[in-house]
Amino acid sequence: MPGEVILVTRPVPAPAPTPLEALRVLLASTVGMAAGTAATMAALAEQAIVTPVANVVNASLDRLVPVIADAVIERIDLTDLVLERVDLHRIVESALDSLDLTDLVIQRVDVNAIVAEADIDAVIDRVPILPLANYVIDEINLPQIIRDSTSGIAGDALNTMRRQSAGADDLVSRIVDRATFRKGRKLDAPGTPESLS
Amino acid sequence: MTTFREYREDLDRGVTPAHTLPALPSYAVPLQGNRAGFVSRAIAACIDVLLIFLVVLGTVAVIWMVSFIVQPLNAQSDALNLQQRVPRVAVMILYGYGLNVLYWTVFWATSGRTVGNLVMGLRVVNRKGEHPSWVGAFTRAVFCTVFPIGLAWSIVSGANRSVQDVVLRTSVIYDWVVGIPGLRRSPTWSDTPAGPDVTIGSRDTTPLQTAAEQGEAT
Repeated sequence: MPGEVILVTRPVPAPAPTPLEALRVLLASTVGMAAGTAATMAALAEQAIVTPVANVVNASLDRLVPVIADAVIERIDLTDLVLERVDLHRIVESALDSLDLTDLVIQRVDVNAIVAEADIDAVIDRVPILPLANYVIDEINLPQIIRDSTSGIAGDALNTMRRQSAGADDLVSRIVDRATFRKGRKLDAPGTPESLS
Repeated sequence: MTTFREYREDLDRGVTPAHTLPALPSYAVPLQGNRAGFVSRAIAACIDVLLIFLVVLGTVAVIWMVSFIVQPLNAQSDALNLQQRVPRVAVMILYGYGLNVLYWTVFWATSGRTVGNLVMGLRVVNRKGEHPSWVGAFTRAVFCTVFPIGLAWSIVSGANRSVQDVVLRTSVIYDWVVGIPGLRRSPTWSDTPAGPDVTIGSRDTTPLQTAAEQGEAT
């Protein structure tokens, strides 16, 4: 194709180093070797000197620190120190947050043993037994049960008669109201009936 | 279902516990306190009048029997001659009217219920909803005895009121009494205060001892 340029790379032999560059390479190699040798010597010296010293120091501390700590503890009131310096609320709250107390009590506490030792009479003395009994009576509708099981023929007949007469009252009222185009009667009376009070 | 806590909150609010309410059939509850109609009141009045009639007859019988003590039989007297041994009919009718007035007065002023009212579950109240006073009960008794047809006005009245009710401002309401009327209910356990600090049923008190009695005792 006209105008196309093709680039081709050819290996070129490296030029010979100048004397100055050769000197620089030689110096660098020498210095590097010296530094490596110094580091190695330092490591050897540390291993040979520091470790025995550290062992001696640690042994001394192992003997001295407990004695010193005991002496310090004897001379200060740790309780007061903790009370004054430590935020116990944070610690307790943190502990409570991290614990499931309910599960802990269920697993670790023998509730039956506690109940066995408890003063049940004192508990019962504080329980409102009679309101509780009245609540049960109301909830199961005991009066209705008794009424249903004991209402006699006479009582049923009386209630039936009252109901039928009240129905007759209503019937008469409705007939008259329809005849007179009245829309109902005002039957509310003052006072509260004894049957509902 | 009501919890015990809700139940006690209701008691604190003054709600009447169900077990202290009279044993009313459920269908009767809506009726209570409404003015009764003509039929119930007429039946109640008939029961009362029948009762008075039986008392008058009984009085006649007693007078007839006593007359044999006062005036023993002899040859001239006739045992079956009632005209000689019992009062005249007019006197007995007047006696019946008087007895009826007395009967209605006493029962309306004391409990608001006659026997007829008790049977039919009715009660007479004044304009305040209370038992009529003695004067009011007497006035109403006289009015009802002299003018019984006034009850018929309750048929057409817009509030089931008889002529007597309109004039004297009384009402006859449905009030299905359960138990003996006029007797107050004896103190029950529910009358004592509720709460964790109450001493109901404790070893120091009897169950029926009321709070007031406990207060007096202490």
